[in-house]
Amino acid sequence: MSADIYEPYFMRVEEITDEAPDIRTLRLVFQDEAEGRKFDFRAGQFGLFSVFGEGESTFCIASPPTQKGYIECSFQKAGRVTRALHDLEIGDTVGFRGPYGNWFPLDEMKGKNIILIGMGIGLAPVRCVIWNCLDLRDDFRDITIMVGSREVGLLVYKREIKQWEEMSGVKLVKTVDPGGETPDWDGEVGFVPTVVEQIALSPENAVVVMCGPPIAIKFTLAALDNLGFNAEQIYTTLENKMKCGLGKCGRCNVGNVYVCKDGPVFTAAQLRSLPQEF
Amino acid sequence: MTEFKLKEARLGELVNALKGEGYRVVAPVEEEGAFVFKEVNDPGEIRLDVLRTARSIKELFFPRVEPTLSYEFEGGSVTCRSEIPESARKTAIIGCRPCDAASLTMLDKLFDWDYRDEYWFKRREATTVISVACDAPDSYCFCTSVGGSPEGTMGSDLLMKKTSDGYYLLEAVTEKGRSVLETAKDVLEPATGDEEVQVGDVPRQFDLEHVKPWLDKNFEHDYWDEISYKCLSCGVCAFVCPTCHCFDIQDEADLERGVRLKSWDSCCLPIFTLHASGHNPRATRGARYRQRVMHKFAYYVDKFGMTACVGCGRCSVSCPIDMNICTVVAGAAGQAEAST
Amino acid sequence: MSEELRQKARELLEKGDVDLVIGYGEGSDPTRTMPVFIRRPEDCDRLVWNKHCFNNLTSYLTWPELKKHRRRAVVCKGCDAKAVVVLCKESQVNREDVVVIGVSCEGVGDPLLSKCEFCDVRTPKTYDILIGSELQPLSKEKEFESVQEIETKDAAERWEFWREHFSRCIKCYACRQVCPLCYCTQCVVERNQPQWVPTSSHPKGNFAWNVMRAMHLAGRCIGCGECERVCPSNIPLMLANRKLAKVVKEQFEYEAGYDIDEPLPMTSFMPDDSDELFK
Repeated sequence: MSADIYEPYFMRVEEITDEAPDIRTLRLVFQDEAEGRKFDFRAGQFGLFSVFGEGESTFCIASPPTQKGYIECSFQKAGRVTRALHDLEIGDTVGFRGPYGNWFPLDEMKGKNIILIGMGIGLAPVRCVIWNCLDLRDDFRDITIMVGSREVGLLVYKREIKQWEEMSGVKLVKTVDPGGETPDWDGEVGFVPTVVEQIALSPENAVVVMCGPPIAIKFTLAALDNLGFNAEQIYTTLENKMKCGLGKCGRCNVGNVYVCKDGPVFTAAQLRSLPQEF
Repeated sequence: MTEFKLKEARLGELVNALKGEGYRVVAPVEEEGAFVFKEVNDPGEIRLDVLRTARSIKELFFPRVEPTLSYEFEGGSVTCRSEIPESARKTAIIGCRPCDAASLTMLDKLFDWDYRDEYWFKRREATTVISVACDAPDSYCFCTSVGGSPEGTMGSDLLMKKTSDGYYLLEAVTEKGRSVLETAKDVLEPATGDEEVQVGDVPRQFDLEHVKPWLDKNFEHDYWDEISYKCLSCGVCAFVCPTCHCFDIQDEADLERGVRLKSWDSCCLPIFTLHASGHNPRATRGARYRQRVMHKFAYYVDKFGMTACVGCGRCSVSCPIDMNICTVVAGAAGQAEAST
Repeated sequence: MSEELRQKARELLEKGDVDLVIGYGEGSDPTRTMPVFIRRPEDCDRLVWNKHCFNNLTSYLTWPELKKHRRRAVVCKGCDAKAVVVLCKESQVNREDVVVIGVSCEGVGDPLLSKCEFCDVRTPKTYDILIGSELQPLSKEKEFESVQEIETKDAAERWEFWREHFSRCIKCYACRQVCPLCYCTQCVVERNQPQWVPTSSHPKGNFAWNVMRAMHLAGRCIGCGECERVCPSNIPLMLANRKLAKVVKEQFEYEAGYDIDEPLPMTSFMPDDSDELFK
């Protein structure tokens, strides 16, 4: 890479998966294979993905670092750039800058019970950690995965949810909001915070990795608090509006942190100490 | 080191000497009733008497708009080129104030934080900063309250100080400054050592030590209410400010080619933190103005050990509704003192 | 007059007629004032009236944060009060929710701002309370003099004139934020699907921005001149606004801000409207 910190890698769209209405996953490979081989990152880091002519957008890298040769991003069509990304076809070019930010401290989570909670599109960064942990299964004790969504159709990574459900050594709990269930739904019905309390997750030797919409995080944190989890054992990742991704443009500055540099992964304790401007 | 002086009337010769050495000379000149830093062709245009230019020297290192990438669409593919300059033009800025010079040192920290922004540093490396001490500060100046001084040398390569007998005493601060003295030696005279230097007084308006501790603890406080009613949420303060550095990255393209641009932005503008989903973490004017003060006087200190304000007073002068940052911060310091 | 103003404002708050008074208070230096927001009668002593009361305070009426105040009083010069009329006609403000404290004004600025030289609302035409005595309006003869000067130039000269001025725009949007009639919750320049007007400060984007804003104000601008006063690059924005006001006046015999019952020119069509604009 050149000295130009704003210059992106050139990627090629290799695979497109429609996860839910307006939500897609793109599998991207490096057009320069040598760069692809050199590339490495850690679970939780993000990048700036761009469509030339439209702009850049920030997503976590949704595929795990243990799976080499490609990176994936999942996003919802919401604005100018995500709309353009959504319109891409296999073989199209995408720009990528990264990996940026900090990461989930998986090394510190070894030997612990890992609880992974992904709500809505927030399952994307959690999915990266899920596969990272599953690829290094012996490093961790119990693995509990909770996925939640407004309705069945909006669950992302449906195929993988099925895989996790069928894995031994993994406990999967899936839930949709009341009213979001279909006649053949065989999961829970209830908001994630409610279900968290119902299944009485244990804080004993546990670490929580979670992500979702701000309001869902807020109530899930409260539920975990009721169950005796302390704020230091819960990790989440923030999705702020970002532009440069590397600590210069000031857009993601909240309190005395820059989400792109000091985050996006934070413990619940760190989040609570920040001004609630995210 | 103040071994030399320049007769005021010979400023033009200094400029020509610099030009002869290949420098582009930039100084305050008048443009439609406002004073801005521009390339000087006729030294007679230079206005070293102007206390405060409309905008600061930051735009010479961090332009209002700057392409980072240019690209072309061919068939189904894209070719792309970084727009980073090989090197920047050798430049001498004459006539900025010590406050503006100090802002460069402050911004160096951010632009070098882990990722080195070469767009900034190539220009920094190519530029020599010749500042002029302030002999007549006004009531909006508050450099001394934020650790600066009307004759400060931070960020300067060469400092000029007016004397009572029509000279500028020259103090070389860096190697680049000494280089200027060497280039201009035929125009300079030796200093006698008993020149009477004219440097104005900038009384301290608040105790900076009290500010951050109060800000750290009073994110939610009635103090921000009145302020929050007034602010109009424009970008003037950030754009005229020497240390504000927030920017946007946007693509502008047609069907054949395009550019990715960095351009100035302000945390005070309404859509700064707006998500595509419609969620805006700083939806009110008060929240946005508070962010500006916090970022400069608290967060930047935590991150880089310096207050990101040089006390130039431009934001207060230019603000459509007379939001005076010195008054706001002095008020915060006052709140802190009142509660001890 | 300051004392009369304070007294009337105090009464309004004491009687509960309004729960907020927006007025002018002392500024950072003797040549400035700043907007103040008074909620308690005893704070009315902060109100001042002098020839440095530049701001058009009606621009605060459309801010959502202020809408929680049931009824607001706003101190208005004659020019400012015209904005209240247009805001009411455009359904942004209910006339009953605003108490206009009109002040008789001999002009602001030292030297006097150019807009004051041909002011016909030295005593506001719209007010609920009037501070000061009635003042005779000045002649508007010279209102479009500066516009006419530009009209004598040919197209190439005019293009160069505006190109040069707009190239100095830094896209700070101070002009938009001070303007009482720029109240769109999402400004055209903030829309990015597509990006109609580039946000960055380059000549193309600047030209588009300034021309578009002037066009959006055609028939609506009340000539308070705040945009021009606050522009950090000294762009003669009022020239553009006055030009369009002149066109509207000539074509539709309409001037913004005078008659609250008159139909808006840009949203109404009269069969006998001239066709001249559609060349």
